[in-house]
This record gives sequence, structure tokens and C-alpha cells, in this order.
Amino acid sequence: MTESTDQGRRTVTTLRELPQSIEPPQDLWPRIEAQLEERAPGATRGAAMPQRRRGQALRWLVAAAMVASLAVGVWIGRSLMPSAGGGVAPSTTANRSSVPVPGVAPTTFDTTYVSDPRYERQRTALVRALQERLAALPAPARAKVSASLAAIEKAKKDLEQALGRDPSNALLQELLINTYQDEMRVLTDVHEASDPGRGI
Amino acid sequence: MSAGEHFRFLENVLPCGDEGLKPFRSGAPLTVQMPHAQAEETRVDWGGALLERARAGDRRAFERLYREHVGRVYGLCLRMTRDAQLAEDCTQETFINAWRALGKFETRSSLATWLHRIAVNVSLAKRRRSGQVEPLPEEEEGMAAGEWILETPVEVQEIESAIGGLPDGARDALVLHALYGYSHVEAAQMLGIAEGTCKAQLHRARKLLRERLGVEVS
Repeated sequence: MTESTDQGRRTVTTLRELPQSIEPPQDLWPRIEAQLEERAPGATRGAAMPQRRRGQALRWLVAAAMVASLAVGVWIGRSLMPSAGGGVAPSTTANRSSVPVPGVAPTTFDTTYVSDPRYERQRTALVRALQERLAALPAPARAKVSASLAAIEKAKKDLEQALGRDPSNALLQELLINTYQDEMRVLTDVHEASDPGRGI
Repeated sequence: MSAGEHFRFLENVLPCGDEGLKPFRSGAPLTVQMPHAQAEETRVDWGGALLERARAGDRRAFERLYREHVGRVYGLCLRMTRDAQLAEDCTQETFINAWRALGKFETRSSLATWLHRIAVNVSLAKRRRSGQVEPLPEEEEGMAAGEWILETPVEVQEIESAIGGLPDGARDALVLHALYGYSHVEAAQMLGIAEGTCKAQLHRARKLLRERLGVEVS
């Protein structure tokens, strides 16, 4: 049906012989891909989905760790440190064995990210003396310390798990170090607050 | 795209009914009818793997689908818009919309036809936005589908120019029916008009082509 002459003057006798496919003058894919990237279709599936979920989980984790650190700091500042008005009264009836101190056993401590021997020595000594020191605190203060240490331990575990999935994440590393420091601060404050020499 | 437009978009691009679609095979022997050919089914099955990967979010697979279909999509957009830049925009939007709606694509229909449906919607929407709306002609019955045969051979450039000069509605119907091989029903569905209106547009297109080319179009 087609009567061709040359390339530019091809003739046709039916409309179906006209070319259906016409290539665009330029490659449109880079623009399309950029748009797909930009719109990051929430309704569509794709490999980017798990990445987004991970990012979201990370944000929640970071927020939780920061809140825990802040709460501990505020509590230490307000409740544990001796105030000018006389401080916390010592409890002479406290039963040492009945005080639960979750998550501060030296065996659970992961030294992967903090390996300074001085830190480890100091922490081990503080943990060892913790029960005794806690016993010297009034019951409400003891409960607060326990709750704070539990929160810190939870934050440490979460951060360590997250670092297990993403070991090179600098933000997570920093948060974990901060959490260790918070723990040390609580242990030190408990030690000092219950020191008989400080008048508690 | 507003929520309403998006809903309409999804409705319009989804194949409806069990009648099945009749994709035209480029490079196939020209026949009056365009039956589903075995070769076409084989090609679609082969493309099915790519499609599945694209649906799973594989952008490289989608790029391959793009490379395979972009010519037919751009060709349709160019003929509907008569503007190379606008046709590029429509082609781009067609593939973006297709990516977003891939999960809703029913594999029983041809991907090529589905993309054409999207391309028609996009082109019509762009035309509506630019205010180019023409009144629809009266419906016409009894016009048979068939090959658009020219009494004497005409140069491609000349006939493309004549088609490009047709009024929008007549040109749309002609391009979909006579060039890309969609039935009256399919072309009418894609354009969102009644079948009778589609036939009337084709009648009008035939008459105008005859006048402009100076040859009988049967």
C-alpha cells in the first residue's frame, strides 16, 4: 500500500500508514525521574518506602532519647541535689534489698562505644555502691532514681539496637554517649547526695 | 491535581467493561480489523515482568517501559496538542501519572492502551485549561468503521499538516480511530464523549480532509 519515494517524501494511501510512534526531540526521562524523585509518591510503592519508615523510626527514637535525658536532668536538678533549705532527709528505715534498681548491672553494659578504662572503673565503683547509697535516700527519691535509671537503660538499649542497624550513624553515636554521661551523672549525684558528709 | 481531578483521572484511565481493549500493533500488517494477535499477547506477557517490577517500585524497570512506549505516547500527544513543547509536557505528565497509578493498572488490558488513555486525559485537560473548547457536533449514527483509504497517494508531510489543521474534536477522533486503530466505542470512551458524537466528529474530519487534500477519502 505504501508508495515510497525518498525518506522525506514518503506517500501513503491509508491513514494507518502514518507513523504511530514519534520520538520526542529530547530525552524526557531525566525530567520525569526528577519529578518522581521530587513528588516521592506517598501513594506509590517503591524501594524508598522502608528508608522513609526507618527515618521516621529514627526521629522517634532520637526524640525519645532526648526527652529521657531532659527528664533525668531536670529531676536531678530539682530533687536530688541538696537545696539551701536543708535538702532531703535521710531515711533510716530503708530496706536495701527491697529497692529495685533496674538495668544498672555492670554485665549489661555495652562498652563498644565507650572504652575509656577510667570511665569503666568509675562506673563499676558507682554501680557497686549504688544499692547502699540508694538505701540512704528517702523512698520517694529512691523511686525517682530508679525510674530515671530505667529510662536511661531503655534509651541505651534502643540506641544500641539502632546503631546495630546503622553503625556509622554519628547522631546515634552522640546520643548514646550522652546517655552514658546522663547515667554517670545520676550515679554520681546519688553517690554525693547520700554522702553522710554532705548532711543528707 | 485536586482530589476530584485525581479521582476522575483514576476513573478515566482504568479500563472498564469486559469487552477488552484492542491495542494496535505497530509494524503489524494493515488490516481492516485489528484482532488480538498471538504476537501481541506474547509481547505483553514479556512486558509483564517489567511491569511487575515497576509496580514493586523498581524505577529502572519503569524507565524501560518508558523507553518502549514513549514514541507512541509522544506521537499521540503531539497530534492532539499540535505543539511540540506542550506534547513534551503532556508526555512527561502521562508517565508521572502512570507511575503513580501503576498499582491500579489491570494487567488484562494493554499497557500501551492504558498509557494512551492517560495521555488523552492529560492532553484534553491541558487544552481545557488553555480555554480551547469547541462545541460538540450533533450525534450521527450508521457510519461504519473502516480503513481510511486515500484515493491517490499523499505525502506524509502533507497529510500530517492537513490533520493538524482539523478542529480539535475532529482531529482527536480521527487520530485515535484512524491512526491508532481504536474502535468508535473506545475512542469515545477515551475522549469522554458519546459514541454518536465520535462518529459525527469522524464524519466531519473525513469531509474536511477531502476538501483540504483534494482527494477522496473513503
